[in-house]
Amino acid sequence: MNFAEEWSAFWRLFYTNGGYKRVFSEGLKNTLIIAILGLVIGIVIGTLIAAVKVMPKYKTLPRVLNAVCNIYVSFFRGTPIVVQLLLAYYVLFPLMGISIGSLNTCILIFGLNSGAYVSEIMRAGIQSVDSGQMEAGRALGLGFYPTMLKIVVPQAVKNILPTLGNEFIALIKDTSVVSFVAAVDLYKVFTEMGNVNYEYLAPYLMMALIYIVLIMMITLLFKLLEKRMKRGERA
Amino acid sequence: MSNKENQIKTVPEIKDDEIIVIKGLCKSFHIGKKTLNVLKNIDYVIHKNEKIAIIGPSGSGKSTFLRCLNCMEDPTSGSIYFDGEDIADIHVDINKHRENIGMVFQQFNLFNNKTVLQNIMLAPVYLKTKKAGGIFAKAAVKKQIKKEAEETAMNLLRRIGLEEKANVYPSTLSGGQKQRIAIVRALAMNPKVMLFDEPTSALDPEMVGEVLDLIKELAAEGMTMVIVTHEMGFAREIADRVLFMDGGVISEDAPPQELFNNPKNPRTKEFLSKVL
Ligand SMILES: Nc1ncnc2c1ncn2[C@@H]1O[C@H](COP(=O)(O)OP(=O)(O)OP(=O)(O)O)[C@@H](O)[C@H]1O
Ligand SMILES: [Mg+2]
Repeated sequence: MNFAEEWSAFWRLFYTNGGYKRVFSEGLKNTLIIAILGLVIGIVIGTLIAAVKVMPKYKTLPRVLNAVCNIYVSFFRGTPIVVQLLLAYYVLFPLMGISIGSLNTCILIFGLNSGAYVSEIMRAGIQSVDSGQMEAGRALGLGFYPTMLKIVVPQAVKNILPTLGNEFIALIKDTSVVSFVAAVDLYKVFTEMGNVNYEYLAPYLMMALIYIVLIMMITLLFKLLEKRMKRGERA
Repeated sequence: MSNKENQIKTVPEIKDDEIIVIKGLCKSFHIGKKTLNVLKNIDYVIHKNEKIAIIGPSGSGKSTFLRCLNCMEDPTSGSIYFDGEDIADIHVDINKHRENIGMVFQQFNLFNNKTVLQNIMLAPVYLKTKKAGGIFAKAAVKKQIKKEAEETAMNLLRRIGLEEKANVYPSTLSGGQKQRIAIVRALAMNPKVMLFDEPTSALDPEMVGEVLDLIKELAAEGMTMVIVTHEMGFAREIADRVLFMDGGVISEDAPPQELFNNPKNPRTKEFLSKVL
């Protein structure tokens, strides 16, 4: 088959026979669900870990928490996400008798994984905020955590927005491995389309196109968000 | 730490007109294996309504001394009695005391992510709401707290002629405006004493006057204040006492006419001859 024939065969599958529906209602949807929820969980966990890292460490509890966070971050940054997915889905969860399905497992692992990366991003962001901001809050009688939450973290988030955008893009691309644990994402849907005629060029080209458009849209979104936040301070 | 616990039990007699009593204050920093003794056993009493100016060469410990007074730096040893407690004791709730000790920084340190009005209202609203039950406080109570804080803040802004800046962000203000707002932000807490660390050193010369004038006004109203400054004229004008710090100790302490016109300590003489 030449490319034109292959493309029209693919187009029949994709458009005429309604294959695109599955691309959007399953593949793209799951990709986005995993990446978005993963990022949200990641931001929550990452912020908590970053808070532990910048906590004053006179007392025992912060030190213990800090050690726990270090282990967590080293594990999730030190192993590939596929390994984490496989371990959770085929080993850990069955052993513990947890059955939450493959999609939920992916969301959870992507969240935990992203938490490790976001914690480093967030910590750098917090450290980039002038220490005078914290001092001013403390001098007014505000505690460490309220000052962190109301003054330092909002400024840190603004500073790290571009980096968070990159993390989100990385997550989107990483979702292409979730079929290892039986989740259906873009890769899975297009591979199945390819399996019909054992022709993969056209489906994978289409898949690449969808990824590129998606990521361009996200880049634009974060640019707009950044602009908005900057405008907020000029008023 | 048993040494420290003993000290709490022997709270000394503090007279009514004494607002901060400093006893045996030492502060050292550890840089690698080296220990730098910055404050060496300082005793001092600050009385109500007193205006104290601190002068001295760079690195003599002026800022460190000032920052120990509200424990922005934790004293290494010694006591600082304020409101009936030794606030140098790490078991004391320092936040409660800091509400009553205003501090103004050389670099202003306005909150960049808040408008001018929010800068002034933030701490009073947060702390009063917390005392009223935090997130469990009644909506009406919260509203009332906000309303009062806003009134106070607007009055303070009107006082310094910056009410039209209420809703702008600090990045749009001049240095002099920022510092005056930082001063009224501290005033919004109704502090019993104000600490200033070189409040005009980061300002362009033409803006120094407006900030000093505001501080003079506060002085005239009877605010107790401690000011680290390089503005000798200003110190002479408003201070009741001038402290000359040198090498981590208060090496001279006298009323301004005396200290400036007739310094006893040769180091003071030397310093003054350089700066005057
Ligand atoms: N956080 C810190 N860590 C280590 N050393 C410090 C720290 N803060 C101050 N020092 C040192 O303590 C000494 C006194 O500093 P301090 O800032 O109190 O001096 P200063 O009298 O305010 O000087 P200046 O007029 O320059 O502001 C200096 O040698 C300084 O380097
Ligand atoms: Mg200083």
